[in-house]
Amino acid sequence: MGGGDGPLNAPRWLGWAWAIPAAFLAAFLVYPVIVLGARVGLGDGWSGLTAASTWQVAGLAAVQALASTILALVVGIPMANVVSRYRYRGRALAQAMVTVPFVLPTVVVALAFRSLLGSGVPQGFALVVVAHAYVNLAVVARIVGAQWAQHDDRYENVARTLGATRWQAFVTVTLPGLRGAIASSAAVVFVFSFTSLGIVLLLGDSTTRTLESQILRQTSVLLDFPGAAATAVIQLVLVTGVLLAGAMAGRRSPRRTMRPVALRPVPAGLSGIVVRVAVATTVIIVIAPVAALLLDSLRAGGAWSTAWWSAMGSVDAGTTRIGSPLGALGMSLGYALVTAVIASIVGGLAAVAVLSRGRARVVALLAIAPLGVSAATLGLGTLLAFGRGPIDLRGTGLLVPIAHALVAVPLVVAVVAPALRATDSRRLAVAASLGARPTRAFVTAYGSVLRVVMLASAALAGAVSLGEFGAASFLARAGNPTVPVQIVRLLSRPGEESYGVAAALAVVLVALTLALVLLVDRFGMSALQRSARTA
Amino acid sequence: MAVSRIRRTTGLVLIIGSLVLTAACSSGGGTDAGTTGSPTAAEAGTVTLLAHDSFVVSEALTEEFTAATGLTLEVVTAGDAGTMVAGAILAAGSPTADVMFGVDNTLASRALDAGVFEAYTATDAARLRPELAGDTADGRLTPIDFGDVCINIDDRYFADADVAAPTTLDDLTRPEFKDLLVVEDPGTSSPGLAFLLATIARYGDDWTDYWQRLRDNGVSVAGSWTDAYTGQFSAGGSGGTRPLVVSYATSPPAEIVYASDPKPTRPSTSVMTDGCYRQVEYAGVLAGASNPDGARAVVDWLLSEPVQADLPLSMFVFPARADVPLPDVFTRFAATVPAPLQLDAQQVAEGLPDWLAEWGAVMGR
Repeated sequence: MGGGDGPLNAPRWLGWAWAIPAAFLAAFLVYPVIVLGARVGLGDGWSGLTAASTWQVAGLAAVQALASTILALVVGIPMANVVSRYRYRGRALAQAMVTVPFVLPTVVVALAFRSLLGSGVPQGFALVVVAHAYVNLAVVARIVGAQWAQHDDRYENVARTLGATRWQAFVTVTLPGLRGAIASSAAVVFVFSFTSLGIVLLLGDSTTRTLESQILRQTSVLLDFPGAAATAVIQLVLVTGVLLAGAMAGRRSPRRTMRPVALRPVPAGLSGIVVRVAVATTVIIVIAPVAALLLDSLRAGGAWSTAWWSAMGSVDAGTTRIGSPLGALGMSLGYALVTAVIASIVGGLAAVAVLSRGRARVVALLAIAPLGVSAATLGLGTLLAFGRGPIDLRGTGLLVPIAHALVAVPLVVAVVAPALRATDSRRLAVAASLGARPTRAFVTAYGSVLRVVMLASAALAGAVSLGEFGAASFLARAGNPTVPVQIVRLLSRPGEESYGVAAALAVVLVALTLALVLLVDRFGMSALQRSARTA
Repeated sequence: MAVSRIRRTTGLVLIIGSLVLTAACSSGGGTDAGTTGSPTAAEAGTVTLLAHDSFVVSEALTEEFTAATGLTLEVVTAGDAGTMVAGAILAAGSPTADVMFGVDNTLASRALDAGVFEAYTATDAARLRPELAGDTADGRLTPIDFGDVCINIDDRYFADADVAAPTTLDDLTRPEFKDLLVVEDPGTSSPGLAFLLATIARYGDDWTDYWQRLRDNGVSVAGSWTDAYTGQFSAGGSGGTRPLVVSYATSPPAEIVYASDPKPTRPSTSVMTDGCYRQVEYAGVLAGASNPDGARAVVDWLLSEPVQADLPLSMFVFPARADVPLPDVFTRFAATVPAPLQLDAQQVAEGLPDWLAEWGAVMGR
């Protein structure tokens, strides 16, 4: 089986593309888990594997994750359409804005929702599902959008010419073409919601527990390590199953010729109005919670004030004497940059490995495994493996971006792999038959697609790093807090100033992310246009 | 063009890849030397302090430590107190640091059982408050600070409503306080756990009945202190509606310190001093530390007068030393709790799994 999946005449280095991601994952994913496993053992924990309560939590989490995924797809697919296919003023901004919820620290999302909806809204299932869908809109919009942008409209035009209605053409032609990206993003959203921690703790109730929240409780409150290990094993197995299913669904999508992105003008008449309304709705949905935070940051003592914004530079307003709130920006940006580089290389090569056969495929699968490995487990494992002699990496400052990259690598694979698979590999054969050397042929076939999706995924990886809290507080030195760590510190003490400055800092984080994503998008677009001109 | 770009990319990949490998190998190469216990750290004169993520101390004091001992103090954080202790237990005997601060009286027995600490009596141990002087687990722990988890009250709400605020745990279940209290989930929040322990210390085996009455009276359970205090408490600054919250006896002075200018002359919140749970935070030398002398110096430093005097306004806790003056805002607005509740650490360690399960059953969580 699968004999036709690998490109013929692939360049020799492609066969070795798996080596770097394999080494990275072996060192920073597998090794820490083994170190922790060797120290803990499952012991009595085996009983946890069959405990009814554990499976009840898993079932509840699955229902919650399914609801979150459906909502994210229903809202995110139309968003993907309007932010990545049409040409209008502010399109790039709209596309970048959609990415923002994804990077907000969960504690900020929770606060923003509280601030927006008022504290009368009951915690629980509905609130958690809405928050998960909100956070994961970017996953759907970016992954599906990246493929939709390159989707060749001529297929629909043919269908329409043959008498299909607009809806029929969408359902029978467009959706199947996007199937890989939709399946891929749905699997990722499901897994994020299934393993969610922060939002579940802050906005959830008994119906929204996850295995991850169970693991944290077993580790940090009950200090029941074997029990936590058993729960972590169950989570890993379930998540791997879901991801495999997503990958299988994606592989059956039809191959079509991709076209370099050419944005369409917004059509005239009714459909144009629909597009404009959809864009406006997208922006409102994404911005409302952030706007609530912005308003909070501008109110002091019941009146309008810029006091919290001017307090951000002062040391006393920060983490009481560790540094000013704004001082954390440099740290966060540095981590984001390193994360983007590591995750792009590791994830990109793992995705390319999908094109080849055999053991390389295993690496691609391993690359998405971090999604299933419990964050608490991995954190403790990393601490044991790299937090003390003989290999103490804490001093190098690399542990945090490496942990961030582990989270980001699966996203990179999720963005890049479906796009590569959907690319018609016959172009490679054609280029080769015209006498191109293997590398040259590979570039001809995959170069333009790769460039777009790699930039999109680097932006996602950087964004993940900007908003991450757990690893940054767990594996870092105390003197170098990131922006989310500063926000959480501010929020963990009373007083109007703490909340006001935290809200202001969250707004800065949003603006920063927006700028980063805009920059990368713009760079990506101009690279595309260049390649379109030379093609 | 394109080919050279690919070559460049490949080159970059190789360079970065080999950098990562070199880093891994060079630190891996330390294995041989590592048998003598990270001599690099000792030579550089560094001592590593493991602390929870709420640990803060003025930078000037860290510099004073270096000036006095010649050692550089590196502070590493490892999540909240529970997560930090979990990591320390897993690394017991071959620790990730030399000394740990922030293990509290609910977690201490588990860490002690795992052999995390080595005995050391701080130079100034004689200066400890009398009630803390014996609280050292055979000299393996040194009390550094303490605080009380108490119900906080939004005074303005009760003044406006012309209702007397509650004064006892029993009051909280009375109809006039229906839907007014927010607590934290004991499974996810440290003050939430302390409040649960307070009710167990007070009501003994009947504690589940008390929680049933709280539930019937409309108690709200938040996932974290931030969500409870900042999100749902009516004096928390973001439009919450509940005037009673589980927080700390030192939250009112913090309200003043972190208020906008001009600072209010008095806080808008007060503390219910009945039903408070006492938390004590300790420091201890980690067994197997690569710099045990430095670790002892850090324990001495934490109990030294300047650091103890700095604690109230850095972490909003009370110093464990008896002879340190409190800042004005503390003496005026921090509540002194006449009879704080406490449970035996061993009892907590044994009972906790069942208590949390029973609490979840009563509260439907």
